[in-house]
Amino acid sequence: MIGFLKGLSVTLRQLPKKKVTLQYPDVKPEWPERFRGVHRFIPELCIACNQCARICPTSCISLSGERDENKKMKIHTFDINFDICILCDLCTEVCPTEAVLMSDTFEMAKYSRDDLYLDMHWLHDNQLKYEQAHPDRFERARGEAD
Amino acid sequence: MSLIDEKDQVRTEEMLLNLGPQHPSTHGVLRLLVKINGETITDVEPVIGYLHRGTEKLAEDLQYTQIIPYTDRLDYLAAMLNNYALCHTIEQAMDLEVPERAEYLRVIVMEMQRVASHLMFIGAYLLDLGAMSPFLYVFADREQIVQLFNEICGARLTYNYMRVGGVKWDAPPGWLEKVADFVQYLKQKFHMYDELITGNEIFLARTRGIGRFDTETALAYGLSGINLRSTGYPWDLRRKKPYSIYDRFDFDIPVGQNGDCFDRYYLHLLEIKESLRIVEQALKSIPSSGPVLGKVPKMIRVPAGEYYSGIEGARGELGFYIVSEGKDKPYRLKIRKPSFINLQLLPELLRGQSIANVIAILGAVDIVLGEVDA
Amino acid sequence: MWDWRSQPLTVPSVIAMLIGAVVILLLALGVVTYTIYVQRRILGWMQLRIGPNRVGPLGLFQTIADVLKLLIKEDVVPAKADRALFMLAPIIAFVPSFTVMAVIPFSAHNVFTANLGIGVLFYLALSAITIHGVMLAGWASNNKYALIGGMRSAAQMLSYEIPLGLSLVGVVLMAGSLNLNDIVLAQQHAGLWNVIPQILGFIVFLIASTAELNRTPFDLPEAESELVAGYHVEYTGFRFAFFMLTEYMYLFAMAGLCATLFLGGWSGPLLPGWLWFAIKVFLYIFFQFWLQATLPRFRVDQLMTFSWKVLLPLALVNLVLTGVVKAIW
Repeated sequence: MIGFLKGLSVTLRQLPKKKVTLQYPDVKPEWPERFRGVHRFIPELCIACNQCARICPTSCISLSGERDENKKMKIHTFDINFDICILCDLCTEVCPTEAVLMSDTFEMAKYSRDDLYLDMHWLHDNQLKYEQAHPDRFERARGEAD
Repeated sequence: MSLIDEKDQVRTEEMLLNLGPQHPSTHGVLRLLVKINGETITDVEPVIGYLHRGTEKLAEDLQYTQIIPYTDRLDYLAAMLNNYALCHTIEQAMDLEVPERAEYLRVIVMEMQRVASHLMFIGAYLLDLGAMSPFLYVFADREQIVQLFNEICGARLTYNYMRVGGVKWDAPPGWLEKVADFVQYLKQKFHMYDELITGNEIFLARTRGIGRFDTETALAYGLSGINLRSTGYPWDLRRKKPYSIYDRFDFDIPVGQNGDCFDRYYLHLLEIKESLRIVEQALKSIPSSGPVLGKVPKMIRVPAGEYYSGIEGARGELGFYIVSEGKDKPYRLKIRKPSFINLQLLPELLRGQSIANVIAILGAVDIVLGEVDA
Repeated sequence: MWDWRSQPLTVPSVIAMLIGAVVILLLALGVVTYTIYVQRRILGWMQLRIGPNRVGPLGLFQTIADVLKLLIKEDVVPAKADRALFMLAPIIAFVPSFTVMAVIPFSAHNVFTANLGIGVLFYLALSAITIHGVMLAGWASNNKYALIGGMRSAAQMLSYEIPLGLSLVGVVLMAGSLNLNDIVLAQQHAGLWNVIPQILGFIVFLIASTAELNRTPFDLPEAESELVAGYHVEYTGFRFAFFMLTEYMYLFAMAGLCATLFLGGWSGPLLPGWLWFAIKVFLYIFFQFWLQATLPRFRVDQLMTFSWKVLLPLALVNLVLTGVVKAIW
């Protein structure tokens, strides 16, 4: 009998407490800096070394590069099949020039699987969006570089 | 009975009840074919494999580092422990040194993971028994752990945090303090869980003496973890075969007395306390700086041979068995999945019970279907 | 015209009866709508959540939206179901739940309430009919879960009917009448609500009525984690809505009965009668939600044992005590 009344008092005590619900579509969650969302990509940095494509456990990255006039490798196409990407972050880990990175874009509900085939332009736009959303992170990185 | 002619009796027949795979209390996609005679269960056949992804086979075609994200998806409630179990086996095989700070970080996240997983068990078990609120309370607490993990490794569930020879990231500034705050916070919450759940008469009536088995049965079936300890057998790999730096910490192995569902519930609560103790000690003695990834060859090649090492997972002994031919990919990877092995006892436990006990017993065995089906 | 009970049956009195019935129906529907809303809110707050807050201001139209959704859903009758019984069951379950409203005195002036001399008996007798609806639903669905749920429900409601009825006898003895209005008047006259002299009966009533309503911790018939949804697992659309309506209608009716029998009904100082009644009804309903937020579920065999071995003797003890005390004074 006593235990049951104690339980009742516990639930009653929760009644006026602050609620933990996040009003999601109205209030977006704040992701930490290391958050692994959809990739972002900086084409200028990429040297088309193919390491990301090789480390990817699900082989969802495919890319092709070409040599420019200075005999340097330039990226030509860079596609991520987001259908099978498991967001493991290994590609950004191996990237020697930090050309492929993770953003905090996480809303990826699409009507068609084709929309999940992300090409270089989409990924670069995602990078620009990320830069806009977090100017502080870039300033800090620049400061550290100086 | 024998005096009455057979023909005069009411004709009864066994009913085959299909519990799952879409059933709210089978913790995923487990299917139980339950034969019942009236309210009594005469036979149970668990049907598994609805979540089979062939992790073991896939691993044969993956480099060792690439397998780590796949282990996240085995027991998705304790991904850190899975990560560690694989990395630990490879490190043992290659005889690698792991930096001190990395070991401490590993222990902190592993014990926090154990807390999160046990909290989840308590919530889900009470939900099975019909109490809705504890589920939401533990989720509010577990959410804080998940957020902490999100800060250290950028994901909420599939962490991919451990690496062969260390961890991927050092703790961000202020993270260890946050963990310390959380430990203090959760310590004060036990009182609430005790009042709300442990003392509740209905809960006691539904779990005391239900689903009992003894140490011999548990050992014969190869059970481990809380299912084994609930019978009073103090078997914890963190003590019996210390790995990582567990020999440096002071903690107890709580054991049950009756081996019933209540013991299994209560051990989860007690183990959370012990895990928090370990985290506290680890936070005190963690070196303030240092590398978090040891000297690891660029291409990880496990020398030819067969290797096994097990750790104390959240649900029992979690082991990885690697057969290597000295290449960068395993020839064969076998996972000792504690959920899968613990599930084997279920038909034995359920036979002769009433149908009303199915959920209480199944819930307390504590399986995660991602691990059972792998 | 409104005092139709004492008049012969004439056209105006029939119209008055119809109007009365419709008004009570609308009132009950309104109460049910917002009972569900309040339930979800209170449960939410107790579970560190917010509860429905998207449809309309403060989520006030949430239930209306839900009901609307149910009404426009496809009406599915499973192919192997017993069609006639399947369709009849929700009606058998619902009609008594609404009919029992007739005897609940909502306020001092007894608006639209049948002033039945056997009010208490009427309530118990009619509420027993609902069991048939639930059982038929479980049977006709031709689903194993529904069958188990229906059978459990029948067994449970039948065994708790007895302690429930016996707990009421104490109150009836105190008042010397089965008429609900007379019981309220007797409490007002004594200046003491029945909850104090009849505390034992009140506790038995509280437990037995919770079981009778199939609410936590006695919600086995629709135990979500075991039987998925029990007897109404195969029901969709407005037939399902009818079962839900029945459940909450009974919650309201039982709250009214509790208020009337043990908490002095509409009587109380200062505030108008209907407000007193509403407050007492709300207290009972809040208690039910509070239980729902706290307790796990009984097991079916424990449930039966509890009824026959604990509640029934308690109710009998209460009855004997009341009788002895009544005889001495």
